[in-house]
Amino acid sequence: MVAYQNLYMALAVVLFIIGAIGAITRRNAIVVFMCIEIMLGAVNLLFITFSRANQSLDGIFMVLFVMAVAAAEAAVGLAIFILMYRKKGTINVESFNLMKW
Amino acid sequence: MELIMLLLCGGFAIVTSLMVIFAKNTIHSALWMVASFFFMAVLYLLLRAEFIAILQIIVYAGAIMMFIIYAIMMLNIRQEEGEKAPVRKSKVVGVVALLVLFLELLVVAVNKGVLAMHGPITDQLMQKYGQIAVLSNFLFSDYLLAFELASILLTAGVVGAVVLAKQKQ
Amino acid sequence: MFDKVWLIPIFPIIGVLINGLLGRRIEEINKDIVHWVACVAVGLSFVLTCVLFFQMLGLPPDQRLYEFTWFDWISGGVLHTYVAYQIDPLSMMMCMFVTGVGFLIHVYSIGYMYHEEGRYYRFFTYLNLFMFSMINLILANNYLLLFLGWEGVGLCSYLLIGFWFSEEANAIAGKKAFITNRVGDFGFILGLLLLYTQLGAHGVWSLQFSEVFPHVHLLSPSMATAICLLLFVGCTAKSAQIPLYVWLPDAMAGPTPVSALIHAATMVTSGVYMIARSNILYSLSPFAMGVVATFGALTAIFAASIGLVQNDIKKVLAYSTVSQLGYMFLGLGVGAFAAGMFHVLTHAFFKALLFLGSGSVIHAMHHGLHKVHSHADAQDMRNMGGLKDKTPITYVTFLIATLAIAGIPGFSGFFSKDEILWQTYAHGHFVLWLIGAVAAGMTAFYMFRLVFMTFFNECRAPDGAAEHLHESPKSMTVPLMILAFLAAVGGYLGVPKALGGNNRIEHFLEPVMGLGPEKLLKKAGAAMAGGAHHLAEAAHGAAEHAAAAGHAVAGHAAAMAEHAGAHHSLFAEYLLMGISVAIALIGIFIAYTMYIRKRELPAKLAESFPFLYRLLLNKWYVDELYELVVIKPIHGFSQLLWKGVDVAIVDGTVNGVARVVGWFSGVIRYLQSGYVQSYAVSVVLGTVVLIIYYFIKALS
Repeated sequence: MVAYQNLYMALAVVLFIIGAIGAITRRNAIVVFMCIEIMLGAVNLLFITFSRANQSLDGIFMVLFVMAVAAAEAAVGLAIFILMYRKKGTINVESFNLMKW
Repeated sequence: MELIMLLLCGGFAIVTSLMVIFAKNTIHSALWMVASFFFMAVLYLLLRAEFIAILQIIVYAGAIMMFIIYAIMMLNIRQEEGEKAPVRKSKVVGVVALLVLFLELLVVAVNKGVLAMHGPITDQLMQKYGQIAVLSNFLFSDYLLAFELASILLTAGVVGAVVLAKQKQ
Repeated sequence: MFDKVWLIPIFPIIGVLINGLLGRRIEEINKDIVHWVACVAVGLSFVLTCVLFFQMLGLPPDQRLYEFTWFDWISGGVLHTYVAYQIDPLSMMMCMFVTGVGFLIHVYSIGYMYHEEGRYYRFFTYLNLFMFSMINLILANNYLLLFLGWEGVGLCSYLLIGFWFSEEANAIAGKKAFITNRVGDFGFILGLLLLYTQLGAHGVWSLQFSEVFPHVHLLSPSMATAICLLLFVGCTAKSAQIPLYVWLPDAMAGPTPVSALIHAATMVTSGVYMIARSNILYSLSPFAMGVVATFGALTAIFAASIGLVQNDIKKVLAYSTVSQLGYMFLGLGVGAFAAGMFHVLTHAFFKALLFLGSGSVIHAMHHGLHKVHSHADAQDMRNMGGLKDKTPITYVTFLIATLAIAGIPGFSGFFSKDEILWQTYAHGHFVLWLIGAVAAGMTAFYMFRLVFMTFFNECRAPDGAAEHLHESPKSMTVPLMILAFLAAVGGYLGVPKALGGNNRIEHFLEPVMGLGPEKLLKKAGAAMAGGAHHLAEAAHGAAEHAAAAGHAVAGHAAAMAEHAGAHHSLFAEYLLMGISVAIALIGIFIAYTMYIRKRELPAKLAESFPFLYRLLLNKWYVDELYELVVIKPIHGFSQLLWKGVDVAIVDGTVNGVARVVGWFSGVIRYLQSGYVQSYAVSVVLGTVVLIIYYFIKALS
């Protein structure tokens, strides 16, 4: 039982959409990356809300592993950004469209 | 009291997140991001997830954001490039679709009935043993395999990052 | 010793492997090694065959059957086929003369082909491969292995006809032979499948001779007829009978030793062998036997009539071969299986000799013409003449063979051909006998015409080539002499009773084929009755029919035997012998008149009967008829299938599908922009749609 559960959920939705809009519109790869972290945070919030509402630990563990994955993602992602920068001198995602027809 | 804290921290979280996506300077984005993580951590605390709240600050705000800021400084990015390029149509479509998605999800979030399930992890249990003790009990028994896999994933991530970023001789 | 039979086909295949894989190198090092390998391989097979043959002679006649199973070939379901060989009088007799004559022709080829640069080894590889296939065909103890050999000899025939493939006519002749044989093989395969399934319906899932023949009486008469006729279709192609004989005259495009070995002595007799081997099956179907006899007789006279006017020395011999094969089928068809096989044997000797002799003549002509740089046809008899003094050995041996084929008493052909004619008459086929006798007269005429035009009179070779004509080398003349000896005395193996002999060949082959259809029919009838009784024990009533049928067959056989016996008298046999000798002498006399004494006569005759002459010269226009009736329609229909069905419908469908897919892909490929954020938009759109779907589902 959580007080103001709907409020938490709405908050998570708002944060998620903000993150998604940023991820879709921004051109700087690092900002896109941060926006994805915002989306992950929104989802984490939702997990914790439900975890508490259900009197279960599953949601909390989910968040724990999301964090682990996010850390690994950050490491690899930033390495890729450095590589991109080395190749093209920019990390503008619109400059990278090699994987097309 | 809880409602005030919730509205206050939620509002700040939204504002800081918006600042992340609207800031022109990348380093400003990153700093707004750190602030956003702190408000998120407060929200976790309100939900009685102390351990996660602390992890949020240590791992996200501490480690990952340091990473990002470090990368920004390394690449020396100030302004977003291609600022004057025309906006791609797909982005317009995407934003419209996201607004539709926002309304949809909001309808769900507001109309969702309050959950009142009775699981094994009650507040009394948490208060009696402390959340960290209960968590670690589960982490090293039921979730041991996932825990080990996560450690392998992190190792692979580190190795991958090193291999990728290594300067070719 | 009998279990060493597998060595017989092994030797030639070793020769094939050595010459086929390493031949080019060997030939560069030393040409002699090539022919040594090939000849020794066949020679060893011949020696081993002789050993086995004489060992078999030591056994009592009723034990002269040995089956040697070498290894499993095809095993699946109810079908078990082995590579297994059968030693019995028939297979050993065939094997003897195939390896023997084959060996002589290998030796002969050394001299004939020695000037072939760069493909000498290939010639001997093909010859060895042919020997291997032919031995498999003969020694096989089941139809499937026989068929393997059957196809193998067809392949070698094709390869050797087109040996000088750089000239288009030879390549076309090869293709013609191959395709014609495919038509026949198609019938043969159908026959085998029908035999297999029909016997299988009676529980005998086997193509092994020793299992098929004891059970063929289970077949219904109409089925037996159908099987026999289908198998005979295969024979008409392989053994050059009407209507599929057309490839054999063209097959003379190959080197002459090949004509002698494959297209005269051995391969073309495999159809005769197959029917003789299946004699029990054929005896069940009087109708099929009649068809075989009729086609044989018609082929004999038809081919002989074409042979009358041909000018190419090898073409005459080719039509002569077709004609003689007709005799063999006539013999088989009237039930004189042993007589047919006897003619196969003697024919192998004298026809191989004739071809090798003609090869020797051509060899001499070729060298002579080459010396004076003339481009005249070395095979055209109009360019020959007077070779008697230039090539004496060839002349004498050739004359012996000619006397043999013409049926002059004392030579081999007389005994075998006369036996066939006598048996035809004795079985009551007067018309067929008459056709055979007339064809014999024609044979005598065209063969002596050939001899007179080639060896007598003055030499007509152009540009003084006559002075350069000389006898062929030893490796060619020695086989000629050996074959001449065999052609002269080979007939004494089967001197008929009427002439004081005891017809050894017939007795020798008796364990395999008995004495004509009477005995076989009796045997089959008895077996059928016996089988019916067995059935009756198991299931009463239903078998009554079969038993009755069995008795009916036996009764019919007895009646036939009496019928034959009534006509059988020594006087009739002497009379017939006299008639056929007289006919042969008349033929020789006419040839003598036309080509020695009054040499303007042929031209006059051709002028006074222009239509008949042109008809014969153009081989009754059979090739043109086939062109019109078979090839043109098939060609037209194929064109229709090609342009109308294959290009328009099949290709159109395939290309159409490809074009639609290509167009559609061209449209939707713009979705694949390469921008990561566009892909993210797609994900969002998908999510929106998904959630709308769940809304609708929740509301309804």
